[in-house]
Amino acid sequence: MSVSPIVSVRDLTVTFKGPPDVHAVNGVSFDLAPGEVLGILGESGSGKSVTLKTLLRLLPEKRTTIGGTISVAGQDVVALQGRALADYRGRVASMVFQDPALALDPVFTVGQQISEAVIRHEGVSKAEARKRALEMLERVRIPSPARRLDAYPHEMSGGMRQRAMIALALACRPKLLLADEPTTALDATVQIQILLLLRELQRDFGMSVIFVTHDIGAAVEVSDRLAVMYAGKFVETGGVRDILRDPRHPYTRGLLAANLHGAEKGTRLEAIPGAPPALHEAPTSCSFAPRCRHAEERCHHALPPVVPLGEARNVRCILAEAARQDA
Amino acid sequence: MRSPEPILSIQGLKKHFKLPTKGFFGREKPVVRAVDGITFDVIPGETLGIVGESGCGKSTTARLIIDLIHRDAGAILFEGKAMGEALSPKEYRRHVQMVFQDSFASLNPRMIVRDIIAFGPMVHGMPQKEAEELAYSLLTKVGLDPARFAGRYPHELSGGQRQRVNIARALAFRPKVLILDEAVSALDKSVEAQVLNLLTDLKAEFNLTYLFISHDLNVVRYISDRVMVMYLGECVEIGPVDEVYAHPRHPYTRALLSAMPSMDPDKRTMEPPLAGDPPNPINPPPGCRFHTRCRFAEDVCGTVSPVPTVRGSMHFAACHIGTPGSGHSRAGETT
Repeated sequence: MSVSPIVSVRDLTVTFKGPPDVHAVNGVSFDLAPGEVLGILGESGSGKSVTLKTLLRLLPEKRTTIGGTISVAGQDVVALQGRALADYRGRVASMVFQDPALALDPVFTVGQQISEAVIRHEGVSKAEARKRALEMLERVRIPSPARRLDAYPHEMSGGMRQRAMIALALACRPKLLLADEPTTALDATVQIQILLLLRELQRDFGMSVIFVTHDIGAAVEVSDRLAVMYAGKFVETGGVRDILRDPRHPYTRGLLAANLHGAEKGTRLEAIPGAPPALHEAPTSCSFAPRCRHAEERCHHALPPVVPLGEARNVRCILAEAARQDA
Repeated sequence: MRSPEPILSIQGLKKHFKLPTKGFFGREKPVVRAVDGITFDVIPGETLGIVGESGCGKSTTARLIIDLIHRDAGAILFEGKAMGEALSPKEYRRHVQMVFQDSFASLNPRMIVRDIIAFGPMVHGMPQKEAEELAYSLLTKVGLDPARFAGRYPHELSGGQRQRVNIARALAFRPKVLILDEAVSALDKSVEAQVLNLLTDLKAEFNLTYLFISHDLNVVRYISDRVMVMYLGECVEIGPVDEVYAHPRHPYTRALLSAMPSMDPDKRTMEPPLAGDPPNPINPPPGCRFHTRCRFAEDVCGTVSPVPTVRGSMHFAACHIGTPGSGHSRAGETT
């Protein structure tokens, strides 16, 4: 990659103080190029939302220990404090949350909320900010936007609220959009509308997006690259086509099979047995080994190697290592 | 085509919820038409999937069928006997049981797993010892080791384990019909597959009939024999699952199916099949309820409610297109 990345994360660890302690993220490293869309795929408790929230420093300061480095657009995110952090949020990076009904402020109109962000970051007049808010509502294709500017969040439907949320997140043209399960709470016919909208805005604004979801289908619709997360680690990363056509990590394979897309009726599903680990201690061996059919003795004793397989493709598994040596 | 006698026959089921707020100027209180006249049969041994978006009335339908909420109109017949008349609700519920979406909220937090499962049969007169034996054997059937799990409280279990307990509890009466209301939706994908395998095994072992309610179209296709599509309290299409997925006849079914992500980065969806959100069920549109979002809508759709018409074996759809003489310019066309 010749262009310098907009996001660069190295050995990120996030621990929540207990009791008991929870090691939510255990050594995540990745780069994101400008204009690139990374989908982080994982089940609940895999650390995908925690990773995202760390990028915006939204986690409770007192209970959270962050290790490693995060650089976004040249800024050291872990070190940001006070006004510098407030400048960063919304301007450089901003977030779209899963439930817009909870994320939007119920006592202010949508117009007020968008204007507030624009005034804070760009210091423009109220009238100017309102104009920008209207422009944004048009961009996200909310019907009769002029009227919706003065609507409260509860007066809108779920899909419309999520559009308003996206308008708010993008009002100051951030370089990085963090989307945390933005379509999970929506109905199927509305979900696809929001996914297509995100894709279109990403292209038009040329921003980078990190899209966190448990829904493989949604991730495939918008992502260039995928990272599959398990027990606080990226177990497999690569281009969306490569991962879909040739998943290498046993967990990725299990996840793809469990999606049931094209599952043969009447056949047994290839279910992954067991459940994800509790993560009260930092893993010292492969976290997936207890559920893995291919696990060997050494999987239970040491961390698996990160095996690079071609451009931007990494698999954290001994199987990939064996396959590479055969080749 | 009704050769096999239905095990469950739902006829004209209706439920309108009155809202607590007053209507304007003392007019009638607003009413949510959650389920508005639904008729269908469930054939013994089949899995009938029910799909639809939130607010379409699929969960209300489930609760009406199990009689957790009382219907305003309509009849529920179990093996030909009307529930509430020839069949008492208590007797009826021994044959029809339900598993809920929220595995935690549906288990009593102050009872251990064994007692949760044994409680129902004991209420129906089974001696305690026997009921506990039954609980142990059911736990084994759902893949939980009784020695490890029987003495635990619900909060000591994972989501997948709790849902297994819920299934064991529902099976304690040896029911013939099991209603699964989004029973796997709250589970992680890898755990969901385990529970689906379990449901398939139990169905064969206990000769069960499933009513499988879900918003996940992939899961419904995998598990169901027939599928019913609901929109705003009405059934818009019902038929064999492969036929409905391959040749959907109602424009809403078509939109719903094409809203499914393609799982192929080279065949991404380019245009959303529908604009906007589903309308509010408080004041559903007159005529065909889908006409406000339907691209084939004509004048007749806004005034006259379409009647379900049959095409092929047991495949019904309620759309003016495909109904000869409906007044739609494409009436009677094969859709």
